[in-house]
Amino acid sequence: MRVHLVLATALAQGDEVPQGPGFLDRALQALVDGIQFGAIIAITAVGLSLIFGTTHLINFAHGELVTIGAVVAFFLNVGAAGPGWHLIPSAAVAIVIGALLGGLIERGMWRPLRKRGVGLINLFIITIGLSLLLRHIVLVFFGTRPQSYREYDIQQALDLGPIGITPRDLIIIALSVLVLLGVAFLLQRTRTGTAIRALSSNPDLAEASGIDVNRVVLIVWVLGGGLAALGGVFYGLTEIITWDMGFRLLLLMFAGIILGGLGSAYGAMVGSFVIGIVAQMSSLWFPIDLQNAWALLALIVVLLIRPQGILGQRERVG
Amino acid sequence: MDELDEPALLVAERIFAGYVRGVDVLAGCGLLLNEGELVGVIGPNGAGKSTLVKAMFGLLRVRTGRVTFRGRDVTNEPAHKLVAKGIGYVPQRQNVFPTLTVEENLRMGTYLQPKEFTRRAEAVQELFPVLAQRRNQKASSMSGGERQMLSMGRALMMEPDVLLLDEPSAGLSPRFQDQVFERVREINATGVAILMVEQNARRCLQICDRGYVLDQGTNAYTGTGLELLHDEKVIELYLGTLARAR
Repeated sequence: MRVHLVLATALAQGDEVPQGPGFLDRALQALVDGIQFGAIIAITAVGLSLIFGTTHLINFAHGELVTIGAVVAFFLNVGAAGPGWHLIPSAAVAIVIGALLGGLIERGMWRPLRKRGVGLINLFIITIGLSLLLRHIVLVFFGTRPQSYREYDIQQALDLGPIGITPRDLIIIALSVLVLLGVAFLLQRTRTGTAIRALSSNPDLAEASGIDVNRVVLIVWVLGGGLAALGGVFYGLTEIITWDMGFRLLLLMFAGIILGGLGSAYGAMVGSFVIGIVAQMSSLWFPIDLQNAWALLALIVVLLIRPQGILGQRERVG
Repeated sequence: MDELDEPALLVAERIFAGYVRGVDVLAGCGLLLNEGELVGVIGPNGAGKSTLVKAMFGLLRVRTGRVTFRGRDVTNEPAHKLVAKGIGYVPQRQNVFPTLTVEENLRMGTYLQPKEFTRRAEAVQELFPVLAQRRNQKASSMSGGERQMLSMGRALMMEPDVLLLDEPSAGLSPRFQDQVFERVREINATGVAILMVEQNARRCLQICDRGYVLDQGTNAYTGTGLELLHDEKVIELYLGTLARAR
């Protein structure tokens, strides 16, 4: 390895001999890519985790909220009938629409269904149906052709030693981390955030403490919808926009949530980063098509060692 | 029931309610609680004691019957609205937010009046010193007795006029049971009316002003705590013959 490094340094200083980067360089690059992928999973998974925590609903349609965010921004940005805005205002509007859609689904569907006393399994099946419905609505309007945003599509990578990263990806990572810190601040330091955690912890007692449970759940859906849309825009930026992009991300979101510890928003964040990093780093050795399979394998291994997940807690009994 | 001059603080009349369609756990029972009173509800397992409290507190739908608070109809109002009106509730099991710290648990007690937190937390911690010592620990690390204290503390944070306690001594060691009953009296002495459901019938009746005996969802007996404690039929049917021996 040392010889290799010396060689690489010599090469960097001297003659421009065309040669692929060394393993360490490739590993560092994969790590950075993994952090970025993990950040995108985390942003989308946090909302999914909070929805599960507060309502125990497994929202199979969460991927579609991701897709819709990406597609709405695409429409505003480059859509044939769209206004042709710059991506930044397009993304902002997409987030607002994602948040509204999340709120609308909760207010118009889940709340009435909960009130009628529909069981969790039934609700879960409904989310599968909703996922199919939304995905195919997107398909009708968006089509099967993968698309890209107009701005930030091709960028010159910044050369940071062994790592090459485009300003776009750097900003995506930075913004993602900021947003996740913002969510943590909300959960930890605000009255609404504490109420969200209280509701996840003990719903009946939350109600008995004077917390308007329906209102808190609505806030969680609005937050989750907005975060999913933002994640969708980021995902569309780094990869490509397709009609089923969110659905393909869904399994990784679930993996991140379970790996981190079901019901813990911070667990979802940590777990998502692990999943993203494992997925990207597996491509150092294995075909890139299998990267999600390796991420899911990591999930199984971690759960065998720590069944409650990384940040999951075993509760004291009695 | 109607022999009292001033209207009672909290009244439940001819309540029918249950968990399954067509099955009434509560079959027409009722009770009343006056200002500043300490009232106990006892009865055998499955009599509907906890169910009655849940139905009164909006956690379970009342099918027929009426709940009034300060003369106003509050039947089937959601619990969070009853909290705002001055009714506090301490559930039997799962009575804390385990993943929240002790302080955050208390903070949720003043969810509707966040500005009052500091002042009231001081008062509650004076009543339950253990809560001050462990304020930054997760509630999940506490013992059953400590959780009971935390849950009562949380309910008191709203300075309620009425406190509904669902089997506060259940599952506690005798030492903690004593402490809980002592605290219940102390809280009552500050002017809070308390409705307490208890499986520990004798201890409950010893400290209560009045008591109700519930059986199969209907009122079986009513009287002062002392009357019930010495009522032959109540002893025979609900307190057990062990009680007579003492």
